[in-house]
Amino acid sequence: MSDGPLIVQSDKSLLLEVDHPQAADCRKAIAPFAELERSPEHIHTYRLTPLGLWNARAAGHDAEQVVDTLLTYSRYAVPHALLVDVAETMARYGRLRLEKHPTHGLVLASSDRAVLEEVLRAKKISGMLGNRLDDDTVLVHPSERGNLKQALLKLGWPAEDYAGYVDGEAHPIDLAEDGWTLRDYQRDAAESFWHGGSGVVVLPCGAGKTIVGAAAMAQARATTLILVTNTVSARQWKDELLRRTSLTEEEIGEYSGTVKEIRPVTIATYQVITTKRKGVYPHLELFDARDWGLIVYDEVHLLPAPIFRMTADLQARRRIGLTATLVREDGREGDVFSLIGPKRYDAPWKDIEAQGWIAPADCVEVRVTLPDASRMSYATAEPEERYRLAACTPEKSRVVQDLLARHAGQPTLVIGQYLEQLEELAATLEAPLITGQTTVKERQRLFDAFRSGEIGLLVVSKVANFSIDLPSAEVAIQVSGSFGSRQEEAQRLGRLLRPGDPGPDGERKVAHFYTVVARDTVDAEFAQNRQRFLAEQGYAYRIIDADELSAGQL
Amino acid sequence: MGTLCCVGEGAGGYRSLADQLRSWPDDRLHRLLTQRSDLATPAPHDFSQLASRAAVRNSIARALDGLTRGELCVLDALVVAGQTTPAELVELTWADPAFVTTTLHRLLDLALAWESPEGLRALTGVGDALTGGSEGGASGLRPRSVERRSRADIDAALDVLEPGARALLEHVVDEGGAAKPGAARLGLRPEDAETPAEVLLAHRLLVPGGSLQPGLLVVPGEVGLALRDGRTTTAPIDHEPVLVAEPRSPRLALSAAVGAAADVVRRVENLLDWWATRPAAALRTTGLGVRELRAAAVHLQVDEAEAALLIEVTSAAGLIATRADAEGNQVWVPTEDFDRWRERPPAERWSELARAWLASPRLPGLVGERGPDQKPWNALSPELSAAGMPEAKAMTLAALAGLPPGEGLASGTGLPSLIARITWQRPRRPRTRPDLVAWAVAEAARLGITGTDVLTDYGRTLATGDDPAPLLATHLPAPVDHVLLQADLTAVAPGPLESDLARRLHQVADVESRGAATVFRFTTESIRRALDAGWTAAELHAFVLAASRTPVPQPLSYLIDDVVRGFGRLRVGVAHAFLRSEDESALAALESHPKASSLGLQRIAPTVLVSSVPIDVLLPRLRELGAAPVVEGPDGQIRVGVAEGLRARAPRTRDSADPARVAARHAAHLVSVISGLRDGEEVARSRPASASAPGGGVLSALREAIERRGAVLIGFTDHQGVINERAVVPLRVEGGQLAARDRDAERDDPDADRTYAVHRISRVVPL
Repeated sequence: MSDGPLIVQSDKSLLLEVDHPQAADCRKAIAPFAELERSPEHIHTYRLTPLGLWNARAAGHDAEQVVDTLLTYSRYAVPHALLVDVAETMARYGRLRLEKHPTHGLVLASSDRAVLEEVLRAKKISGMLGNRLDDDTVLVHPSERGNLKQALLKLGWPAEDYAGYVDGEAHPIDLAEDGWTLRDYQRDAAESFWHGGSGVVVLPCGAGKTIVGAAAMAQARATTLILVTNTVSARQWKDELLRRTSLTEEEIGEYSGTVKEIRPVTIATYQVITTKRKGVYPHLELFDARDWGLIVYDEVHLLPAPIFRMTADLQARRRIGLTATLVREDGREGDVFSLIGPKRYDAPWKDIEAQGWIAPADCVEVRVTLPDASRMSYATAEPEERYRLAACTPEKSRVVQDLLARHAGQPTLVIGQYLEQLEELAATLEAPLITGQTTVKERQRLFDAFRSGEIGLLVVSKVANFSIDLPSAEVAIQVSGSFGSRQEEAQRLGRLLRPGDPGPDGERKVAHFYTVVARDTVDAEFAQNRQRFLAEQGYAYRIIDADELSAGQL
Repeated sequence: MGTLCCVGEGAGGYRSLADQLRSWPDDRLHRLLTQRSDLATPAPHDFSQLASRAAVRNSIARALDGLTRGELCVLDALVVAGQTTPAELVELTWADPAFVTTTLHRLLDLALAWESPEGLRALTGVGDALTGGSEGGASGLRPRSVERRSRADIDAALDVLEPGARALLEHVVDEGGAAKPGAARLGLRPEDAETPAEVLLAHRLLVPGGSLQPGLLVVPGEVGLALRDGRTTTAPIDHEPVLVAEPRSPRLALSAAVGAAADVVRRVENLLDWWATRPAAALRTTGLGVRELRAAAVHLQVDEAEAALLIEVTSAAGLIATRADAEGNQVWVPTEDFDRWRERPPAERWSELARAWLASPRLPGLVGERGPDQKPWNALSPELSAAGMPEAKAMTLAALAGLPPGEGLASGTGLPSLIARITWQRPRRPRTRPDLVAWAVAEAARLGITGTDVLTDYGRTLATGDDPAPLLATHLPAPVDHVLLQADLTAVAPGPLESDLARRLHQVADVESRGAATVFRFTTESIRRALDAGWTAAELHAFVLAASRTPVPQPLSYLIDDVVRGFGRLRVGVAHAFLRSEDESALAALESHPKASSLGLQRIAPTVLVSSVPIDVLLPRLRELGAAPVVEGPDGQIRVGVAEGLRARAPRTRDSADPARVAARHAAHLVSVISGLRDGEEVARSRPASASAPGGGVLSALREAIERRGAVLIGFTDHQGVINERAVVPLRVEGGQLAARDRDAERDDPDADRTYAVHRISRVVPL
């Protein structure tokens, strides 16, 4: 037996011992085909999934390399069934190809006739295909390109898309690298995407995904449609593009509930596109409004289902997806793979943190004990009310005050789920409050003030979860969340991880992330979920009692 | 070879098979009795009986079952020849002379042939037992006639045959040498013959079958030989099919095999642990139902075929058995042997399973398939076995062991070539051989005996009957004595754990991922379970600290404390009905509890209370009072907690699974048989020459005469109750009847063949 850093388990998980001298090489070798599942301090867990293996195939790795990598780094015998499974899974990708036929247009071709016959017999697929040209080629209705890929993936025979892309309407876009430069991993990400044609770039929150998007646009040099989660995020994209590229205010349009501009670069929100009136999507025209050469999907893991359907019709256009995590709470990772494209670039949080591009974080869970009266009302409450009761206990407000006192002078966000609680906190702390009801203009003003340091404390609801760039935030206090969602945790932590400028002592900031939790309630159970997520991401995580906090021990 | 030379020189031979056996040295007898073990049980009195037994049809058939096709062909040639010399036998067979001589030696050793004064002979029953066509080594030729025409004479007759007649003759020879006469007339001269059959009859190339095949025409052996150019077969007989093999990466092969072997041990333990607490319901036929099999497969995360194999092997190793559960239903649970098994190192555990598999006639490959009644076969059902399976497994491993190291069966063509070879080696049994061999190959791979179809070095040891454990142990990773604790509340054991550590970890944490390494997760439930099993907070903290090579993460310590916070702290002793607790105030509270007066509590130390109430009353009362007591044994150990898994008694038929013990016992038996034979001989010598002893004596004498082809005087009681004597040539003994021919009858007198009931024959005197 060799003494490698990797242990291959029969349940297809790979355990990587990080302190092993070969660990770095091994990580690099397995990253293309294995999904990082958890990265706590000593042993990282990767998982082999069909999607991961197909991602690797799409990136040009073959089964032999994968098997060889596993054997090279594995400490123990590798289960044979697993190797066979890897080879078989990988062999499934690319048996079918979507191609552009010189005379017939889009066709589905295969070198394996049996596979072609099998998929032709599938009911779901037959409607998408036209006449059989010869034994190995079938016509495909161009409008079904995306649906077909989706359906083939479900059948387990993902098709490789060689049909190419339309160039779209050319539009000059350049990066304006004045006083800043593209970081290495950002450049790699943009290039990997461009060479792959379409696909998803996975970077941690705060790693500058917007800039990767801008770099991709500069590669495409064509009109671009950018889809973002909400209006505030749209504004930030616009500001960032103005700052980082040669684009001017007139060239960038915003397409949202209030403004409907269509310009060479148009930023639209998911919400406006998925608005349905009388059973139709009135804003679908946006996709045909121009001959787009590139479509950017921000926060791909949140992409709503209708946009998948619309994207299915856009397969001839280049698509780039940006996200911090491929994990979707709705399990539609397969649709991201088939419709947006395979993963083209991935960098673990810790790596980028180690390079100093995102701030290290100190995560602490503070447990408060409910007073007896509250415990009684909690115990007798309806199950659906319990979480709210536990999460909104007034005890938390004292803890928040203690924490604020500890971090006096540091820009702090207080994040919560329940408006009442937030309003109460805002009143107690005399801090401005941002919720979904706050106007966009007001939000902008408050965020700007926070960024500039005028305001040192903001109380925000979940509107602040996504795509809001608050590089100056150093402390976040989470008082309630949406039922222990891991994704939310990632986003909230992400608010903190944008590295500010080094302080006067040259030290980079260390972010502090507090979660205040009511002991012995569902709140604590949900917190366990989040705790696990953070620990799996490799963040030091501590649990302390509220009493210790007030006693000044940390 | 010395004996053969004797025969070749015409200088010797024995009067009878019994004589020949009598002359053999002990080691040769030992060999015979080892190879034809049925001759030794029950122990024969003397050599006549031994020889007689060797000539019994069933015994011959069993002996033939153990021969290769090449050996069967040589034996067949001997039958065709009638009686012959080794030199002639070499000419009659299409094979390397060395092969023929070796084979002949083996046939003599097996007492399937013997050296009569007239030459080598096969036992009389052999001809009838050689069935199965050319696959079974039978040439289809008849024995040569005693008074036969010369080869030249036959060749001359063959030369003048018209093509139609020759084709007919060849057809008859190929189809077994016998034909129905139909309308053909007998006794014509060649010039009067009209049909091809009549021509052949006229040329005496086809002759009436006589009393042995009444109503049939047969081709005499010498004619068949002449047709085949003097040989019994039309193709060489000593070409053993070769295995199609290809080289494989040795590292990959070993790693695949060792990985599978480790998985097997792990899964068996996992399954039985599970069955100990949740026994699997047995069917009325003691089999395991489809639902239970599926549940086991899901639990083990393997497919049903693999689960069936594991369960069958576990059963073969005696690790599971049925017993009645609380409701009286039959369930499968681990046996006591399981406890002993799990204490051993992994390599030995595997070795035990693998050897049980090798000796097991079970057919897990059939599980899930439908039987003749369209019902699916169930695992562990009694009928799911085949006597030929152990042999198929042994031969498969032996064949693989014959490949050069690092070479495995070629994909695609390898398995058919293996089947062809094993079919050549044992052509007579059984018809399901291809299936059996395919299963053996698949099962060997699943158990980790082979990896990528290459037999591992420890697999070779297994195939030779030795213990593979020491070799396997060198391949298995060394057990680790620590885990790595992480902040996400997992503990990763980066390798197989030492069994003591593993057992304790299983108590305090749940397993999340199994394999070469194990990932444990600490949860509120698992910690509570540990507390239930008697752990204290301090022990838990100490244990995780000791087990971990890394600092204990703060969240884990916090979790333990958090769970302990809500857990009871009382211990209750059985022997003296005492209560003790580290918590003095809790005891004080209990003592002074208004409802505790009936318990007769008395404080004997700051942390100990005693009670006058029996423990079965005391415990519920304490619980009523809101305490959470645990029971402590006389040795101070906590007795509650881990529920003892159910155990059934191990079946005691397992001795046969230990090849070494079986072999030793068998050898001892043979030695006693041989010395018994010699003693019996002394006794026999003092008996008169006429065999009048009832039963065995008459039979032995008759069989001996059959082998000698000699005449005897038999005394028998006829239907009128009159005692008669007659000089006859015995032909065969079958079903209690002796077929014999009157000694003085004319050669073609069909009435000279008579049958006699053996039980009416009172004496047999050799003439």
